[in-house]
Amino acid sequence: MILDLHTHSEASEDSRAPVETYLKWLQRKRAEVPIDGLVLTEHRQWDPHADYRALEDKYEFLILRGAEVETDYGHVLVYGVNKDITRHFDFTNVRLSAQELIPAVTDMGGIALPCHPGRPTVGLCAHYDGKPPIEGVIAVEALNGGSRRGENERVQELIDRYGYKTFGGSDSHLVSFIGICATEFDRDIRSIDDLVTELREGVYRPVDFRANLAKRAAS
Amino acid sequence: MAPKLDKSLIGSEFDHTEFPPVTAEHIREYAAAALETNPRHLTANDAELVAPPTYVVSLRGRHFMPANLQTVLNIGRRGFDAGKDIECGVPVRVGDALTATSTVHDIYEKTGRSGSMVFVVLRTKITNQRGESVAVIDQKMMLR
Repeated sequence: MILDLHTHSEASEDSRAPVETYLKWLQRKRAEVPIDGLVLTEHRQWDPHADYRALEDKYEFLILRGAEVETDYGHVLVYGVNKDITRHFDFTNVRLSAQELIPAVTDMGGIALPCHPGRPTVGLCAHYDGKPPIEGVIAVEALNGGSRRGENERVQELIDRYGYKTFGGSDSHLVSFIGICATEFDRDIRSIDDLVTELREGVYRPVDFRANLAKRAAS
Repeated sequence: MAPKLDKSLIGSEFDHTEFPPVTAEHIREYAAAALETNPRHLTANDAELVAPPTYVVSLRGRHFMPANLQTVLNIGRRGFDAGKDIECGVPVRVGDALTATSTVHDIYEKTGRSGSMVFVVLRTKITNQRGESVAVIDQKMMLR
C-alpha cells in the first residue's frame, strides 16, 4: 500500500490544486506514480466538515486528511485529528510548542510527525542544533518532494542518531507534483485510524517516483 | 515569545474610489498592452467593446493599504506581492462608472525557510453604476 502522506490542495492558501484534479492526474500517471491514495495535510487548519468520499468512490483512490502545523521546532504533520486535539491546540498558531504537541497528540489518539526536517528554520535538524530533542517522535519525513538540494540528505544523521522511522511525502502544492514522493506500507490502510496505527507500529519506508516521471518524460 | 498577531484591522475599509466613466480608448490601450488578440477587446465598435477580464487590476484607488497597517501589525516595510485572485463578474463596457471599495480581508502568519512572515489579504470589490459586481480582487502582500 502506497500513500502520499503530505499534500496540499486549494484549501491551503498557497496551493491552487483541486483535489479532483490530483485524482485525474494520478489516474493518468498510474504507471509512473503507482500510489493508492493521499493524505491532505492543509496548512494550519482542520475542517471537520470536509468530505471526499464521493471523489474516493469516483476515482478509486483512498483520501485521508491530516494537517500541517507550525511549531517552535519546525513544521509537523498531524494525523488522526480529532476534537480533543483541536480543542487543545490552535492550528493557526505558528509558535506551537512541539515538546507539548507531539506527546499530547499521541495521548489523544493521533500521531504528530516532523516534516521536511532538513529544511532551514522550519525543519527539525536546524532546531536540534541548539535545543534538546523532542520526546515521543516516532518518525520523520526523510523524503520530501519540495526539498531543495541537500535538505533530504541532511536528515540521515538525525535518523542514525535518534533511530526514527522514516516516511515520504510529495508536499505537493501543484497538480503535477502529487505522489512524486510517498510512503510504502507493508499492511493495507483503509482509514485514518489504520494510518495512525501503522505509523506508530507498522513497517514503512519512503519511496521516490521522480526517476519514473523523468524517464517517461525523456522517452 | 513573539506577541500574538493583532488582527483588529480585519474587516476595516481603507479605500473607496469612484472612477470616471470607462473609455473605449482605455479599454483598447489595456488590451493592446496585455497582448490581447480577441477583436472583442480591440477592434469592436464602442457599443460592442468589452474590457479583458484582468482590466480591473489597472484601476488604482487612492490608498493601496491602510495607513496604520505596519504600526498595528508591528512589522517592517519589507515585503513583496504574494499574488492576487480575481473573481470576475459582469464585463466592463464603455461608459461604465466603476466604484472600488477596499477592505482588509485577512491577516495571518506563516513560517518558511527564511523565517516568519505576515500575510495581509486586501480585498477590493468593484461594482458598476447598476450595482452589479464587476470583480472581487484579493491582493496578497507578504510583509515582515
